[in-house]
Amino acid sequence: MSIAAPHLHAAAAGSSSGTFAGFGLSVRFILRRNWLRLLIWALVLAVMIPVVYSSQHEAFPTQAARDAYASVANTPAIAAMTGLPYAAGSLGGILVIKIWMTLAVALGFAAIFLVTRNGRADEEAGRTELLRGSALGRHAFSLANYTVVGGLSIVTGLLITLLALAENLPIAGSLVLGGSIAGVGLAFVGISALCGQLSSTSRGANSLGVAVLAVFYLVRAVADVNAPDTKVTALSWFSPIGWGQNMRPFSQDTWWPFLALLVFAVACCALALRVESRRDLGLGLLPDRRGPGHATALLASPIGLALRLQRATLVSWLLGAVVAGLFFGSVAKAMTSVLDPSNPYAQAFLGGTQNMLNGIMGTFVLFNAMLAGAYALQSLSGARAEESEGRLESQLAGSLARTRWLAAHIAVAAAGSAVMLLMGGWLTGISSNGAATGSALAGASFAYWPAVLLMMGVLLFLHGFLPRLSVSLSWAVYGVSVLVAMFGPLFSLSQGAIKMTPFGAVPRMPAESFALLPLAVLSLLAVVLGALGIWRFRNRDLTGA
Amino acid sequence: MSTTVPAVEIAGLHKRFGKSSALAGLNLRVDEGTVAGFLGPNGSGKSTTIRILLGLVRSDGGTARLLGGDPWRDAVELHRRIAYVPGDVSLWPNLTGGQAIDILSKLRGGVDHAKRNALLERFELDPTKKARSYSKGNRQKVALVAGLASNAELLILDEPTSGLDPLMEQVFTEYIREVKADGRSVLLSSHIFAEVEKLCDTVTIIREGRTVEAGRLDELRHLHRTVVSVLLDRDASVLLGVPGVNELVADGNHATFTVGEAELGGVLSALSSFNPRQLVSSPPSLEDLFLRHYGGVAPASGTTAVTETGTAAAQAAGAR
Repeated sequence: MSIAAPHLHAAAAGSSSGTFAGFGLSVRFILRRNWLRLLIWALVLAVMIPVVYSSQHEAFPTQAARDAYASVANTPAIAAMTGLPYAAGSLGGILVIKIWMTLAVALGFAAIFLVTRNGRADEEAGRTELLRGSALGRHAFSLANYTVVGGLSIVTGLLITLLALAENLPIAGSLVLGGSIAGVGLAFVGISALCGQLSSTSRGANSLGVAVLAVFYLVRAVADVNAPDTKVTALSWFSPIGWGQNMRPFSQDTWWPFLALLVFAVACCALALRVESRRDLGLGLLPDRRGPGHATALLASPIGLALRLQRATLVSWLLGAVVAGLFFGSVAKAMTSVLDPSNPYAQAFLGGTQNMLNGIMGTFVLFNAMLAGAYALQSLSGARAEESEGRLESQLAGSLARTRWLAAHIAVAAAGSAVMLLMGGWLTGISSNGAATGSALAGASFAYWPAVLLMMGVLLFLHGFLPRLSVSLSWAVYGVSVLVAMFGPLFSLSQGAIKMTPFGAVPRMPAESFALLPLAVLSLLAVVLGALGIWRFRNRDLTGA
Repeated sequence: MSTTVPAVEIAGLHKRFGKSSALAGLNLRVDEGTVAGFLGPNGSGKSTTIRILLGLVRSDGGTARLLGGDPWRDAVELHRRIAYVPGDVSLWPNLTGGQAIDILSKLRGGVDHAKRNALLERFELDPTKKARSYSKGNRQKVALVAGLASNAELLILDEPTSGLDPLMEQVFTEYIREVKADGRSVLLSSHIFAEVEKLCDTVTIIREGRTVEAGRLDELRHLHRTVVSVLLDRDASVLLGVPGVNELVADGNHATFTVGEAELGGVLSALSSFNPRQLVSSPPSLEDLFLRHYGGVAPASGTTAVTETGTAAAQAAGAR
């Protein structure tokens, strides 16, 4: 096998033979199969710019207000979560503080999920074999996959630039803003291309990609928390997210990290193609291990099987909750030592040190709840996968009641999310150096369990009535709920409206005091939706994909 | 046999999926202790019927009884007494074949370890490999081992040998004969005629969701004409006038025709006067019966079988 990089050029030049034959056809095929997803990702991400810009324009109407904000903006919490606020005195800089990290990370997720969907997932399902059997070059489909998802990054970046220009933001800054986000997206196209070659399952490829993203996020968070003032640190260059940040739109407007990200992406993709030409179709780099020839008594029970099927999901999310909890705790710890209670702006904007800390703790707890909700949905969608992939049929042909089977999956999702909430909250508390206690934050975090259960209730309801759309629709419901709870104020939503949504309804302890009513309403809704869905599932035909 | 409850009894079964009709008045009966063949091309409704019997899909009309119970309402209790082998086996990719066998067996009540190990050996299946690495045939073996290791009263097999090589098909045939010898019942959906002819006591042929032919295999053969191929000492067109000769194809001294059971004696004595040099007579094969209903002929309006236009089938049989 020759080195893959020259092939890349050959394909770009429109070569129609060799390992890239059928590249154009593959691109059209992938576009046809993914156009709606691509469109939604690009539009939803880009539209954040005008939405957030207008809310910030309202919040900081005068230069004096922005200057005041700039004097208190550089807290460890902001640095850790969204990056260094290097230009908090300008609207462009505030826009970057509020939304840059969200957009960059979201585009990274989009790249990981889309590359896996068209790559490893197809290979796992045997569709790639069908395509490779035709006159399609070995690398054509993979390269088309990387190209299309890379294209999504570029188009999203361009849209962001255009929408920023439409708000009369500076031209150079707008270009660098779009370029920096697109660059991070491109980097994750490369990373997920490699993940898809290393892992032999789509689930493994996605998990690996998300884990790499989390590590890179943490690297830059540690770098930013430890930065002197708002200066770029050496450590931040060890993360592609850091490269994007260091382009500093609306301030230095540095261009070259974009090129570095582009080169990084192309190098990763070339390496991925090289791995692809060295391995057998359907396999990863690591060979499959053998396993036990018998099932244990536990595994052969519905709950044991559900646990085993969700084991990898559960373990990786629990690990995520541990890392997030410790990370939040250490940020809170840094806050206590850095915050100057005599700063008048801190008083004016945030209501004093303790209130500010409590507010930030509330945000951390909400973030923890978001993780638990995502775990619960991913875990419970495993039940739908059993049905759509035909494995439920053989189980129900045994002496297993539908409700008993579903109850096992519900139990794993519900119990797992409860453990995540309690553990994440507790770890944040105990690692915060007295900013809050472990038990207080575990309690504050566990208050979100009804909201998580409601997400499960929505999925169960849809699983009963609209099984084919249930998973994607409930992720959409989750996405909107989380966005509103996290960024409601950025979208100029009123507190009353935010309180009407699942995650927004939960009292944000410790800043807010405990209230039973919203939790009771959420629980009731969860039970009613879940019961309706289960009732319908008992009475409907099994449906395939 | 008429005193016992049939293992499967289906009458006038209907099922629609949206606008398309999958079953439109299907009848099917499996008597206790018999092996029943269930024949039909792809998309004719075999799997839908089986999914209704398993309580996975609900029927829209007609009746279906499984071991005397309601397949939908009593699913959980009934499934303790049956074993199911699908034709397209989907397994958990990261569990081993052995684990999958135990999980499926346990759901049916328990694992008979001796039987399980014997089957694994006969089917030459390695139970320690992850299901992801199995070929289609090996996935099929997993389901077969799980199904055959049970002591179920009724085996429901939906194209169970798809993907198996001929040696493994042979192993399968032997096991089904054992099941039958035990007095247990089998519903075998298939489109492999040889397999059904070898194993089945009764046959149900369906087309577009309707039963077009059903009965004991030997009785069905009686209903249909024997195919005769002769070589005479003169031009075979002399057979044109012989009463009882149907679907005659004469080519020089050679002729093939079909003849009904009642006319066979008369035709043979007429033939003897033409000095036949060679004579081959063959009972209608299952394939003939099947092709009569599918030989490019328009859908039959009723459920009775014999049509006079089945020349393609007759020729196909005569050519053998």
